[in-house]
Amino acid sequence: MTYEQAHPPHYIAHRKGWLSLHTGNLHGEAGAAERAVEDSFLRRFMYGTFPGLLADEVVLKRRGNLLVICALLSRALPPSKIYFLVGYTETLLSHFYKCPVRLELQTVPARVVYKYL
Amino acid sequence: MPFEMRFEPIFRAAAAVRSRSPPDPWYSPSPRNGGARGSSPRAQRVPPGPVPPRSVRAELAGPGPAPAAVGPGGAARRPPWRRGLAVLPGRAVVRGPAGGSQPRPRWGRAAYSSAPAVSGKEGPQQREASVRRRGRTPQFAVPPRTERMAVDQDWSSVYPTAAAFKPASVPLPIRMGYPVKRGVPPPKEGNLELIKIPNFLHLTPPAIKKHCAALKDFCTEWPSALDSDEKCEQHFPIETETVDYVSSGTSIRNPKARVVTLRVKLSNLNLDDHAKKKLVKLVGERYCRETDVLTIVTDRCPLRRQNYDYGMHLLTVLYHESWKTEKWESEKSEEDMEEYIWENSRSQKNALDTLLRIKASENVSNVSKEELLGSEVVTNYRNSVIALKNEGETESNMSQYKESVKKLLNIQA
Repeated sequence: MTYEQAHPPHYIAHRKGWLSLHTGNLHGEAGAAERAVEDSFLRRFMYGTFPGLLADEVVLKRRGNLLVICALLSRALPPSKIYFLVGYTETLLSHFYKCPVRLELQTVPARVVYKYL
Repeated sequence: MPFEMRFEPIFRAAAAVRSRSPPDPWYSPSPRNGGARGSSPRAQRVPPGPVPPRSVRAELAGPGPAPAAVGPGGAARRPPWRRGLAVLPGRAVVRGPAGGSQPRPRWGRAAYSSAPAVSGKEGPQQREASVRRRGRTPQFAVPPRTERMAVDQDWSSVYPTAAAFKPASVPLPIRMGYPVKRGVPPPKEGNLELIKIPNFLHLTPPAIKKHCAALKDFCTEWPSALDSDEKCEQHFPIETETVDYVSSGTSIRNPKARVVTLRVKLSNLNLDDHAKKKLVKLVGERYCRETDVLTIVTDRCPLRRQNYDYGMHLLTVLYHESWKTEKWESEKSEEDMEEYIWENSRSQKNALDTLLRIKASENVSNVSKEELLGSEVVTNYRNSVIALKNEGETESNMSQYKESVKKLLNIQA
């Protein structure tokens, strides 16, 4: 199991961080619901666009208008195809959400195992 | 049904279909290389982590199923748009992705271990080995950039802007996470926790110095005549406060941004005694006695500029109204007074009465009220009573009152 899977949700803020960072969940700020809906769509989109390649959950960061999607991929595809998928994701999501979307990838040879059950 | 459950069977079916049919040349995942499970021991670049139990070890070590043959031989099963682009069997070297505009069927693997976007600075410098036919998959991994970093390099070119943590670009041996029992925190490669947190690697002091140097051209000097707070207040007595809100999301609108706060000291306004008292009565809670500051907060208009104009309008109206005297203001009674006034009060009447009776009992000639009022003992008494009423009871006030009463009634000790 990866680190993310090995820790149940009550460890968030103790041993885990948040997978999605935005200002909507702060006190007195609006937009939490919209960000949550966007997050769920983005995760599904990433899961489908990179089939079998996601080594771990997708981390979403929002800096102002910019949406940064940090994904951990395995090295099953040659880079040219990954480039295409990256470009496809970025342009499609930018047009869809009307905000700049950036993909930051990291590849690992295998899924990083934290512990075995 | 929740969204996940609805789509789960579709994903599983797609995966099953993929695994059953010969791998499509577009997606040709070699079980040896990718997938969710693991890679061959030769390619294992992850530092030894937790030891898998025996059952899993057997699965990992065993040879994966041979990648299905897709090539010129499988032309019959290739999708139609592929059939025209057969690759000559004798070709050994394949050009890099720059020449990869024609899609080539890739059977076998030339693995590219470094991520396309990880070492963004060096670009896709894939050392492309010869394309092997099915079977052997050499892992020519590009070493991470950290191994070629000088100690005195320019860090602001590694992280020029805010970016996620890239383990291949940060030459620090960082570990993050809760360790397993009798273990160490997980290393930085593939560490999602390090990616989750916001990092400030792009804001080292030299980088900030560069930012400041670049911004200096757009800045103007502070006016030298305004070098103290008093001068600022003297020239700009009205302070306007507005707040701008920054949030993440596609909308920049925030309804809280329309609030405007105006602050002014009443000593800076041209008010006489009556005007000041009337203004203070008009504004009520917005005036602070200790600091002599009038605060007006406006948010009833939808735009900030409208609220600012409304605030200035309120200030103007208050100022002009406080200078006017209405007819009914002459009906101001003692309860409306803000401070204690001794003239025409009960205390004055009592004191005068007492003194007159004393004088009458001593059979002194009729002393007039004005003389009595002007006399020193009465003035002392007046001051002490005013102090007591306006400032409250303090040690000094009480002793002063005592002395004045003793003098008034001519009591010695």
